[in-house]
Amino acid sequence: MRILVVGGGCGGTILANNLARRLANEIRNRKVRITMLSASDKHMYQPGLLYVAFGQMMPDELYRDQLSLLEPCIEFHVDPVEAFHLDQNKVTTNSGKTHEYDVLVIATGSRIVPEEVPGLVEGSETFYSEAAAVKMFKRLREFEGGKVAIVVGVPHKCPIAPVEVTFSLHDYFKTRGIRDKVHIKYHYPIGRIHTIENVAKWAKPEFDRIGVEYETLFNVREVDVENQVVKSEEGTETEYDLLISIPPHRGMSVIERDKMGDGGWIPTDRYKLTMEGHDNVYVLGDTTNLPVSKTGSAAHFEAEVVAENIASIIKIGTPVRDYDGKVYCFIEAGHDRATYAMFNYENPPDLKAPNKSMHWFKMSYNKMYWTSVRGLL
Amino acid sequence: MTAQTESPQTATAVDRDELAHELEQLSELATLVLSARDALSDDIVSRIAQALSEGITLLDRLTRNEGLMRLLQVLDTPESQHLLHGLSTALAKMSRDISISPPAKGGLAGVVKLAMEPGTQEGLRSLSLLGKYWSDSMRELHRTGGK
Amino acid sequence: MSEFKTIDARNTFCPGPLMELITYMKQAQVGDTLELLSTDNGTASDVPEWIDKVGHEMISSEKVGDVWHLKVRKLK
Repeated sequence: MRILVVGGGCGGTILANNLARRLANEIRNRKVRITMLSASDKHMYQPGLLYVAFGQMMPDELYRDQLSLLEPCIEFHVDPVEAFHLDQNKVTTNSGKTHEYDVLVIATGSRIVPEEVPGLVEGSETFYSEAAAVKMFKRLREFEGGKVAIVVGVPHKCPIAPVEVTFSLHDYFKTRGIRDKVHIKYHYPIGRIHTIENVAKWAKPEFDRIGVEYETLFNVREVDVENQVVKSEEGTETEYDLLISIPPHRGMSVIERDKMGDGGWIPTDRYKLTMEGHDNVYVLGDTTNLPVSKTGSAAHFEAEVVAENIASIIKIGTPVRDYDGKVYCFIEAGHDRATYAMFNYENPPDLKAPNKSMHWFKMSYNKMYWTSVRGLL
Repeated sequence: MTAQTESPQTATAVDRDELAHELEQLSELATLVLSARDALSDDIVSRIAQALSEGITLLDRLTRNEGLMRLLQVLDTPESQHLLHGLSTALAKMSRDISISPPAKGGLAGVVKLAMEPGTQEGLRSLSLLGKYWSDSMRELHRTGGK
Repeated sequence: MSEFKTIDARNTFCPGPLMELITYMKQAQVGDTLELLSTDNGTASDVPEWIDKVGHEMISSEKVGDVWHLKVRKLK
């Protein structure tokens, strides 16, 4: 049995390690082989980028060697997939190699496409890559006051990020003693200030309290860089001195190239996590077209379900679990308080009041992540 | 039977005293927790979490390492511990002896003289037996692939 | 040739039905029809409000059992 995992991010790594633990005997007896293909030999802790953007973490803290995170029995190649041949159960890679499989797991993740919005690349700061996060921090350091606008592209990874970056901006300028010189305006694509109703209910009075202005039903259409104006699909405009953007995302281009899913998102069964029309192909994390948050947490819980099912299929011939849509999101409410939202397909998120202990739990998780991707926590 | 002679008022007073004492202790504990909370910083919390996280990873690696577990089982016997202790003592004595003896002159005569000592003969016998058993184990290792 | 696509956003809380619709609207071609399925009652008013503001066309909105079916056409 050849299991091929494409993608060495959060979901792919947890899945491969979890499977390697469950199938240790089968791998030792050479009945099962796990191979992982990834685009990089480094693994990045992506939630750390928000801290880099505020000078709270250094970029080198975000990385580990991918090989150091994998169970030794997993065959690992830095060789991204160039083409999926799903009807022939094989993939071809960048280096020209062919990998055949019996079970395929696609966990290639998503990428930012700020270029889809005219002016967004040149006109805005963001924190969705290492270079961008460092650049954003330097820009914040130099900022002495004026109008800060936050805009949000759709779809985007980490749905809580728009709210978190707003609270962080408030705290950052307050600590620097220039909050009274900064006007913060938050823009959100739908009719309330966050898609999760309870988050919206909590954040709205908080924004009022800390003096953050907000505009809803604002889908960013273009940025007039010269005049420093951001315009919406809905016909409104906001002037800015500093524009912070959550850029729109797409799945990986290979998915679109091979016509496996519009926007690079693969049509996936919301319970079984198999690709529509392909029972031996599983899809994880951001790569799915599922109506669940694009976050490492969703990828984590999905990976556990897929690992358990692949292992049980090998051991007893049938899957044993369905994915229930579980997502657990930390919500940083500034630099010293946090809360969390947990939900699944059946239960909406219920929000607790933010406190310092939850902030420390998040701080701890930033370090415990490496234990988590090894399949331990 | 003092309790029977005690008036209800006295009993209540004692209860109240005890309660006050317990509350005081609780308040002390709360102060301690709060003080610890105030003394902590993001950086300290991060470092503790990192140490714990790496510790858990290390523990996981060690406990799932079958070879190491077998080694620990072997080391758990008094015989192995005694042998290791003996080996370590012998190494220490050897290094001391070498450091105080003059450099060897070389030549066959020296070898013959050394070979006539009973200690050398015992040592050679031990080494040849060690070689015999160790080579059995090495053959076993490559036959089974270390399982 | 315009297309018809169904978006199943039943029992989802994040990113939620309207955010799903906006995602699919961006991928669609002008003239395409999208049908959004949602179990969130707020959708029945949120979607028409956005469609109206941004300038697409609301074709129909009905509740079948517990599920809202909202059909919209992309106009620009």
